[in-house]
Amino acid sequence: MRHPPGLKGFLLALGLLLGLLLLSTGAGLLAYFLLEVYLAPPGWTILGVALLVLLPGAVALGRRFPWLTDWYYFLPALSFLLVFTLYPVGLTLYLAFTDYSGKRNGFPDRSTETRVVGQEGPRLLLEAPVREALRCDPCQGETVEVYAEGHRLRARIAQAEGAALLLDRVPPFRAGYVAKVNAFRFVGLRNFAFILSQASQALLPVFLWNVLFAASTVLLNALLGLVLGLILNNKGLKLRNFYRTVLIVSWALPGVITVQVWVALLNYNFGAINRLLGVLGVYPIPWLNDPDWAKVAILLVNLWLGFPYMMTATLGALSTIPDELYEAAKVDGATPWQALFGITLPLLEKPMAPILLSSFAYNFNNFYIIYLLTGGGPAQEGRLATAQSTDILISWAYKTAFSAEGQSAYGLGAAISLLIFAITVAISLVNFRVTGALREVR
Amino acid sequence: MRRLWAFLLTGLALYGVYWFAANRLFDEGSYRKQVAFGSVFVPYGWVYALGGVLLLALLLLLYSLAYVALTNRLQGKRRSPWPLFLQGVTHLFLWVLILLVYYPVVQVVAASFDPTNNLFSFKRPETGFLLLDAKVVPYLPAPSLENYAKLVEGVVLYPYQVGLALLAGLALLGVAGIGLLRRLLPQEAWMDLWQGRLLLLMALAVFVLALLLSPRQFTGQGTEAKFLLWVRNTFLVSGLTGLLAVLLTATAGYAFARFRHLPGRYPLLLFFIFVQMFPGFLALVAIYYLLSRLDLLNTFTGLVLAYSGGIISFGTWVYKGYLESISPSLEEAAMVDGATKWQVFTRILLPLSAPMFVFIFLLQFVGTYSEFVLANLVLTGVESWNVGVGLRSFTTGQFQTKWGVFAAASVLGSLPILFLFYGFQQYFVSGYTAGAVKE
Repeated sequence: MRHPPGLKGFLLALGLLLGLLLLSTGAGLLAYFLLEVYLAPPGWTILGVALLVLLPGAVALGRRFPWLTDWYYFLPALSFLLVFTLYPVGLTLYLAFTDYSGKRNGFPDRSTETRVVGQEGPRLLLEAPVREALRCDPCQGETVEVYAEGHRLRARIAQAEGAALLLDRVPPFRAGYVAKVNAFRFVGLRNFAFILSQASQALLPVFLWNVLFAASTVLLNALLGLVLGLILNNKGLKLRNFYRTVLIVSWALPGVITVQVWVALLNYNFGAINRLLGVLGVYPIPWLNDPDWAKVAILLVNLWLGFPYMMTATLGALSTIPDELYEAAKVDGATPWQALFGITLPLLEKPMAPILLSSFAYNFNNFYIIYLLTGGGPAQEGRLATAQSTDILISWAYKTAFSAEGQSAYGLGAAISLLIFAITVAISLVNFRVTGALREVR
Repeated sequence: MRRLWAFLLTGLALYGVYWFAANRLFDEGSYRKQVAFGSVFVPYGWVYALGGVLLLALLLLLYSLAYVALTNRLQGKRRSPWPLFLQGVTHLFLWVLILLVYYPVVQVVAASFDPTNNLFSFKRPETGFLLLDAKVVPYLPAPSLENYAKLVEGVVLYPYQVGLALLAGLALLGVAGIGLLRRLLPQEAWMDLWQGRLLLLMALAVFVLALLLSPRQFTGQGTEAKFLLWVRNTFLVSGLTGLLAVLLTATAGYAFARFRHLPGRYPLLLFFIFVQMFPGFLALVAIYYLLSRLDLLNTFTGLVLAYSGGIISFGTWVYKGYLESISPSLEEAAMVDGATKWQVFTRILLPLSAPMFVFIFLLQFVGTYSEFVLANLVLTGVESWNVGVGLRSFTTGQFQTKWGVFAAASVLGSLPILFLFYGFQQYFVSGYTAGAVKE
């Protein structure tokens, strides 16, 4: 009944759990492939069958190792993490070392789709010469997909001659069409080498602006939040709850909507902001059309979006400072300024540090504001098409991987996201060190 | 020494800002001294504005001087007028700030009632009042609901759906009513209970309504007539994601908080936290591949499953922290009486944790509501878009002609989240800033 202790116990438990998960996934896959021959089941039958194996398996395993049942509480979260986080992340890490892109994506190229007119074991007869139809030279060794209604099969070309095609396996169905698969290759560290070789056009300026953006947005938001927090913490101020509720509004609106509204408001000729500035005697400002003003626009919009959070955080931190300290200071004849610099600000340091750090980490990867407000633009000379004047690392990665400018170079994008991952982990390690959040757990 | 560094760094930063402003922002190329066509330009307008604010401050000063002098004379005391003046200046500052913060909100709300789409028009109103002519104060000669009408054009509701909507509305009214009673009457136990029940009823009604609406009921022409469908899609996906987050994190949070005897609990926790620091949506291709293998592309199930990757670590961490703040003595007593761990979890801890689950659900709901990158990839076709993707189609498409409709959609799309946030303000505030108040 007792749990085996130490590392051995942990590894044993983990091994049993992962074994169970793998076994049930394997059973699911097996069932799927068996069924696929006869009927066309939807792909999620894999999950269904896996669940059907997992539940009785867990019960049986619990009978055999009663101490394992404590670990079952982790099972729902763990299995979702493995399937929908670890697997995609692992696959992405692998793709970072390949030349996977829009043109080489591992899917069949429909433009090479050719009808099969004759079939005899592994030998297919196409309606056109293989070399031209499948656009391959030499065709030997290329992967193709053979498919018909409800069936598909991947195979390699063993031999190609005229319109005849010899596969390395026999399709278990009547082949309808054949198409070449756009295979991607392992390229080692070439993606990283590319990033470094273009560093002056992308990595360095983007990284610099990324750090500057995150740092100054945190600084600006924290300053306004601090001022407001100090003002609203004053118990003598009338209507302070009203102000608090009213000023929080930009936090309460969904960011995906408000940022897009800001795009319209910042329009050069017609935007409401430039209209207001015109009345104040300021000439219209090219908020979203000038590489430098775009940076200012991003900081200002992010200030609008983010100061309520900082205000609330400051108020929360201020509420932990006991009133007696101020009373004692007053008795000692301290002025309000001395109380502010001697008591309030030093005592705010400790609770605010983790908030500022996590805010930095959040803004470091704040994709939405960049992508929705400026889309990374406006264009700047001497940069990669995917890394324009206001692009940060994550929007650069996104545009590299998914946009036309980046030619959907997904492998390259995955390499950049690996970089982001490393930086994020480093920031949060610092954060955990400062807060000691993980030490408590131990 | 530390102070010296601080001064040095601040000075350097300020000089950097000055240099940037002088050489990059206000140089000839970036800041051209030409007035935009059709806009109102008042030379040295800022001087007038500043003068106005200073005048108000002066009036405040005079008022506080006079008021304090009067009360001092009447009551025979010697009080200083400065606290009153400072209080007044603070209010003035806050009101200026409120004006600035609400300026964009007011502009959008006004635009949504403006049928003439005048964001991109050169014509300017001739009213003789400067702020109206400049369209700084919204100029609405003929406000109408036309823009909103375009969003609901051709929507066919069945009677039972109207009934459900009414039920949800009544429940919401009930919740608000009890909230009002709470302010007026002393607290009583039934208030909490009924507020909870009515909220649950409302959530259920909205969920069932979202489930029963079908794309066929949206017969209007044009993409904007599908707006309510997008809202419904978003509600469905966000609600399910929030529910899934609670389901997945509850048991794991319990185990992390209470099973301190398990070896390797700490590395497992680290794994939970750090694996989700990978920028989630950059695994898009992998997720797309996975969903296409499972034949779940273009389904809400697929989208919810794709989101489920990103919702576990935060909820687990928060729930674990919450349970650790509850003393385990009750559970230990139950265990002594022969209860199993599962019974302890379901009978004792789950009822206690309802507020935390509400918080995790709400956070996930609001977070998912704003998501559009994954949604854009997984859901294709106008009928399965969510609000974010749909609104984006307005701004990237023929925006010019649709500014009014876009504004109306923004207002309508923001309302649910606005209500949720203000309704559950204490959850959001306490949850987000949990780190700040931790002893």
